[in-house]
Amino acid sequence: MSTGSAMSTGSAMSTPSATLGATVELARLWSDPYPIYRELRRREPVAWVPAANRYLVARHRDVVALERDPETFSAAERDSLMIRVMGHTMIRKDGAAHARERAAAEPPMRPRVVANHWTTLFQRTADELVDGLYDRGEADLLRDFAGPYAARNLGLVLGLPDAAPADLQEWSQAMMDATGNYVDDPTVWRRSQTAAQQVDDAIDDVLGHLRRRPDESVISAMLHATDPLSVEEIRANVKVIIGGGLNEPRDSLAVGAWALLTHPEQRAAVEADPSLWRRAFEETVRWVSPIGMYPRQTTREVVLGGTRIEAGARIGVLIGSANRDETVFADPDRFDLHRKPNSHVAFGGGPHFCLGSWLARSQVSQVAWPTLFRRLPGLQLAPEPEVELGGWVFRGVLNLPVRWTP
Amino acid sequence: MPKIIYVDPDGTRHVVDAPDGTSLMQAAVANGVEGVLGECGGSAMCATCHVYVDPADGGRLPELGADEDEMLDSTASPRTTASRLSCQLTASEDLDGLVVRLPEEQI
Repeated sequence: MSTGSAMSTGSAMSTPSATLGATVELARLWSDPYPIYRELRRREPVAWVPAANRYLVARHRDVVALERDPETFSAAERDSLMIRVMGHTMIRKDGAAHARERAAAEPPMRPRVVANHWTTLFQRTADELVDGLYDRGEADLLRDFAGPYAARNLGLVLGLPDAAPADLQEWSQAMMDATGNYVDDPTVWRRSQTAAQQVDDAIDDVLGHLRRRPDESVISAMLHATDPLSVEEIRANVKVIIGGGLNEPRDSLAVGAWALLTHPEQRAAVEADPSLWRRAFEETVRWVSPIGMYPRQTTREVVLGGTRIEAGARIGVLIGSANRDETVFADPDRFDLHRKPNSHVAFGGGPHFCLGSWLARSQVSQVAWPTLFRRLPGLQLAPEPEVELGGWVFRGVLNLPVRWTP
Repeated sequence: MPKIIYVDPDGTRHVVDAPDGTSLMQAAVANGVEGVLGECGGSAMCATCHVYVDPADGGRLPELGADEDEMLDSTASPRTTASRLSCQLTASEDLDGLVVRLPEEQI
């Protein structure tokens, strides 16, 4: 397999090929990918990484370039485990096939309906969760707030308001684990099959009602679109939205709360000027991007960042690295909500640009953070246990122990 | 070919040949005008191709569409009466010489 590094352009290069990409270990990426990404950007910006069985693309400009060329960098990955787990979802289609399903699902997630309809419901979710926690004076904000908050809101937006947040979280985790089940663990398959069946059952329960009575939900929009989606298409796309629409708002909520709790001067700034909450959100998803890597596959031979990539090659688009690229972001490892401009790529780009971006901005930065910081007096990080982070494909805090004074 | 003049907030001018039928977002991106991002590729979903068109030139432009109007409420830099989404403006001889000013930030 060509590593291509010998063909890299720019000043950085001339170590022998294969040295860096071949040494990358997934366990080290999981615990802290950023030092490895820094080296990749400097020495092998498009690196063949055997451990990931992909070329990893590390620089901001190369990520932007490939996002602008979806014909070459296809989302329709061959032998996709996601398709095995969820069915053929829009996230693994290109061109007109993708556009048709996207157009059907998108209207409930556009900014005006988010502002005029969903934000009020998100506020209710946040207030109910805070009501339930308030007297305790302490909580794990990831487990006790961010997870159930993102799950409840997702159920509302999808049109599954009766789905229990705990079930949605289980379905999401089970399906996501299976999309990464390259070791073929039968337990993982069984758990995801159970989850997929339960999602199908939950959809079946609401279809008749939503056919007769359209509402603002995603399932309703897919049923009543100009070019309506079939039940099979609805099932697949609801699964991908459950798999991919829960951990991102959960993780950005928790990571950003942690960042503000550990940067008192920036916390004071947002508490004094609510217009800064959105800025805090953009900086959070740049700093620790909830989706750190997503896959693509080349449809032809192509040169990217000076590296020749063969047709049919699997690509890992390193959002988490592009968003720490020192040629675009000064002092990139620092959390700084005043960063301007902040041209991060956390929502991806091109036809697959994050469908839930406006929902996430509303849920996290307009509702959750202002509610938590306003309603929990003296909110602070608990002295222990220590906050831990993990992940590279998806990344976030693994716990967030806090206390306040009821 | 129509020429479009993109002006950065610091006054730097980028004169771009915009082929008939391409959007002003695509023309900017294809010519390395970094003040336009166009993240969603032109589907009026991301609000990152925001530009200002001087009111004097406004008459040369099509009416605001509903999706465009909606997205302009969500731009990172302030919306003004001059605000447009460049992905919704198509280059043609009618727009030759159009000056569009770029906002300070798109995200």
